[in-house]
Amino acid sequence: MTNHKRFVVTGVALTALAAVAACSGGGGDTKTATQSGSAAEPVTINVHTFGGGENFGYDEAVKKWNAEHPNIQIKYQNLTDRFEDVYLPQLLQRLQAGAGAGDVVGIDEGAMGLMAARPQFFADLSQYGLDSRKADFPASKWEAGLNTDGKLFALGTDMGGMTMCYRKDLFEKAGLPTDREEVGKLWPDWNAFFETGKKFEAAKTGAKFMDGPNTIYNVILFQEAPKNGNLAYFDKSNQLIVEKNPAVKTSFDWVQKFSQAGLTAKLQAWSPAWDKAIKGGGFATMGCPSWMLGVIEGKAGESNKGNWDVAAVPGGSGNWGGSWLAVPKQSKHPKEAAEVLNYLTGKDGHVAAFKEAGAFPSSIPAQQDPEVSGLKNAYFNDAPTGQIFAASVANLQPVFFGEKHAQVKTAVEKVLEGMDQGAVKYDEAWTKFVEAGVKAAG
Amino acid sequence: MRNKPWDATLLTKITLVFALIMSAFPIYYMFIMATRTNEDAVETPPPLLPGGHLGENVERLLATEDANFVTGLVNSAIVATTVTVSVVLISTLAGFAFAKLRFPGSKLLLGLILVTMMVPLQQMGVVPLYELMVTLGWTGRLQSVILPFLVNGFGVFMMTQYTSQAVPDELVEAARVDGATTMGIYRRIVVPALRPGMAVLALLVFMQTWNEFMWPLIVLTPDNPVVQTSIAALNSAHGTDYVMLFTGTAASVLPLFVVFVLFGRQIVGGLMEGAVKA
Amino acid sequence: MTLQLAPPRQGPPSQAPPPGRWGRFDLKGVPYLLVSPYYVLFAIFGVFPLAYTLWLSLHDWELAGDKTFTGLDNYVKLVTDASFWNAVINTLGMFALATVPQLVLALMLANALNKRLKGRLLLRLGVLLPLVTSVVAVAVIFSQLYSRDYGLFNWILSWFGVEPIVWQNEKWSSWLAISTMVDWRWTGYNAIILLAAMQTIPRDLYEAAALDGASARRQFWQITVPMLRPTLVFVVFISTIGGMTLFAEPVMFEGNPMMTGGTTGQYQTVAMFIVKEAFRDFDMGYAAAAAWLLFVLILVGTMINYGFTRRIRGAR
Repeated sequence: MTNHKRFVVTGVALTALAAVAACSGGGGDTKTATQSGSAAEPVTINVHTFGGGENFGYDEAVKKWNAEHPNIQIKYQNLTDRFEDVYLPQLLQRLQAGAGAGDVVGIDEGAMGLMAARPQFFADLSQYGLDSRKADFPASKWEAGLNTDGKLFALGTDMGGMTMCYRKDLFEKAGLPTDREEVGKLWPDWNAFFETGKKFEAAKTGAKFMDGPNTIYNVILFQEAPKNGNLAYFDKSNQLIVEKNPAVKTSFDWVQKFSQAGLTAKLQAWSPAWDKAIKGGGFATMGCPSWMLGVIEGKAGESNKGNWDVAAVPGGSGNWGGSWLAVPKQSKHPKEAAEVLNYLTGKDGHVAAFKEAGAFPSSIPAQQDPEVSGLKNAYFNDAPTGQIFAASVANLQPVFFGEKHAQVKTAVEKVLEGMDQGAVKYDEAWTKFVEAGVKAAG
Repeated sequence: MRNKPWDATLLTKITLVFALIMSAFPIYYMFIMATRTNEDAVETPPPLLPGGHLGENVERLLATEDANFVTGLVNSAIVATTVTVSVVLISTLAGFAFAKLRFPGSKLLLGLILVTMMVPLQQMGVVPLYELMVTLGWTGRLQSVILPFLVNGFGVFMMTQYTSQAVPDELVEAARVDGATTMGIYRRIVVPALRPGMAVLALLVFMQTWNEFMWPLIVLTPDNPVVQTSIAALNSAHGTDYVMLFTGTAASVLPLFVVFVLFGRQIVGGLMEGAVKA
Repeated sequence: MTLQLAPPRQGPPSQAPPPGRWGRFDLKGVPYLLVSPYYVLFAIFGVFPLAYTLWLSLHDWELAGDKTFTGLDNYVKLVTDASFWNAVINTLGMFALATVPQLVLALMLANALNKRLKGRLLLRLGVLLPLVTSVVAVAVIFSQLYSRDYGLFNWILSWFGVEPIVWQNEKWSSWLAISTMVDWRWTGYNAIILLAAMQTIPRDLYEAAALDGASARRQFWQITVPMLRPTLVFVVFISTIGGMTLFAEPVMFEGNPMMTGGTTGQYQTVAMFIVKEAFRDFDMGYAAAAAWLLFVLILVGTMINYGFTRRIRGAR
């Protein structure tokens, strides 16, 4: 644009420049000055996370760190509650552009395959001695943090031990037991869950038994996957197996059965209407990985305290979701960032996050900490969540994700939603479901 | 404005009242929701009269740290004002040149602008523009949301149309005979004649910029938002706090309404005067 | 306002340019100076992204992955991609559904506003009010109005014994809902533009027609509409661009920005398709190709509309 430069000396350019000058002084400059970590000026480490409600639950942990480390100050920001459609594209763009990503970034399990396939963007944490942490984590959680170059690029935060959340007030209305022990006994398996649902519907409470297709589908899928080689949509060589994997078909069939029996409120998870129904009592049960407790608390609000409770999930155990932390290569202070990551994924960080957001630790020492095993959740009638989750993740086998897992998940669940709401015919749904998966895998 | 000596029939009046109700109702509904509680919001039938909870909703809105709502409002005001002033200036200069001056290639250049209006830059430009902003080191800063919006083909096109009607050729000619320079003509004749048109363009551009959502979401960070991304953050921080969302939304359109009411007469006048003899 | 594809008639050349070299520059050079700011900005923030997009569309590139040159592969894939054509049909369908009633309503409204009334300014401001409301606000409001369980529309329908409709579920209902959002926002603006043009129609035309015994309605169709043709062309042009790039309303209507446009893509528009491919599936090259096809679609759409509107014959 050099030859145009002479012409742009118009009032326009001046106005624009004046504005630019005016706002350059403002906040929002995310860059920290490059300096050699001199003690005089503290290094700022930006921690970027995602998630609704209490998200990663690092408020307390960060306060504590900042008080103890005047030279390394954490700036903790939860960018959005939407991982797949806001956080992930933004993170990828910032990685690609080489600027703008946090020094420590949260990554959801659905995108771990994608990130592992992009080793060029992340710092090798073993350079900072974090490979010594291997014994702290279950093997599967640890291995997911190794990228395609075999380097350690991420350490685990929470995992999603599985429970069933239910609304006490609606259960009471339907004449069902309300005590969590007894509720758990209502459904040792999914068949019993189905029968309970029919009883609930017969009581005509005005609410539906379950929210919709998504949460139940995921709960069952992650219970079934370990029975089929720990696979969901892709096999270890990244081939799509959506049609071949019995785990997928079983989960699909259950959702279809619930939907056809009219047990669902026909709500898509994460839609505004779903939010409203969580608050307003539109349905009585939903599949609840541990991190969902924070979501419910955030969405149902103070006025619903004590209405929601947690019981054992049919079929006993499972894991859905969970996250990791990584340090992008573009960080100006990778060493300090790794220190912060080490702290947040360490025992204290895990315990603090569990207390704050109900995020169940993937760290073994943290799981064994009495603060975790003995914790009760006040919002959920003092449910002993520490015990409930620990029971559900004992001898857990997490699932392999392909690079396109998130895309396939979104596409096939859309078909489930369509089926549940009547936009897709029941007898065509499986065909459409497989088609959607194939298309999304590209 | 001349008016035809026709009286409105009853049917006409009913039509107009209906149109007015239809126009105003959704906006009314938004302001109602901003004064209710979340319990009211999920009632059937939905509430149609104001409640007394506006104060506490506003308090919650301002107390939501993640949203930085006030920063968002201030930033939006800076961005929208800068873009508006610049676009009106760029457009009137170019419009004057296209409508009243002769220079080789003007037809081609104007045709090019028409084509540029058809480019879905919103969807096409995001990736390259983001990389450009990173290269310049402007991500997270306001200039990153100001500069791309200065490209406004509609403005140039509209001002060209407008100038060709609003500024009589005779005036330009007479000024030339008096020895006025081109810029002198622009200042003394064109700008005064274009005032109503500028008011319209300013409103449209201000609105468009104020309401922009997708690009700021990508290029700005939550600690330095514009008002629309701030609302999105509200939505994510408190997904079910509908009344607060409505309060934020209401607060975000209020400044536009104020501008609109203040300049309403000029704007309607400008739109009306932009008319052309077929 | 009219749509002229050529610049309007230009002022006569100056009789007496100011003397000297500066004077010549004033005539020859200054016009270019006046239009240059726009083109400079457009070169940086318009042409560059466009060219980049074109280059991208010839590659297979996953965001933050490797680029490989594949020539026209993306375009070939697109043309045979059923979901792309579904998006095109949705876009065209909603465009028609939104634009036609919008124009008819705007014409009627303009005609009504053209009568002698008390409180004219208030009425004119009133119908412009929706335009000032942000798209995000429109979407928040309307999504609430259309919600299945708590929405006003379903509540009103329930008086007539209609079961709650899930507006997002079917093509017809989702198109209808989204079109109403678009209509609500733009009808008033178009009405004001048309009203302005109406006021320039010479009155004696109407008087002559009245003498011939033409009814008010006949006068409207025989005189008003044909005389409004240039303005209609302009309005249609603007609506076409808006309609072909329809994005915010359907996204907000969906309630989650996954860009799928309903469970089976009932209301996915081309703009949504592009964003989904680029920022959900990270298939940048494919999205870039779709963006270029959308550009072509807009060009074609504009040409067709232009031809169509030109054929409205004036009454002789």
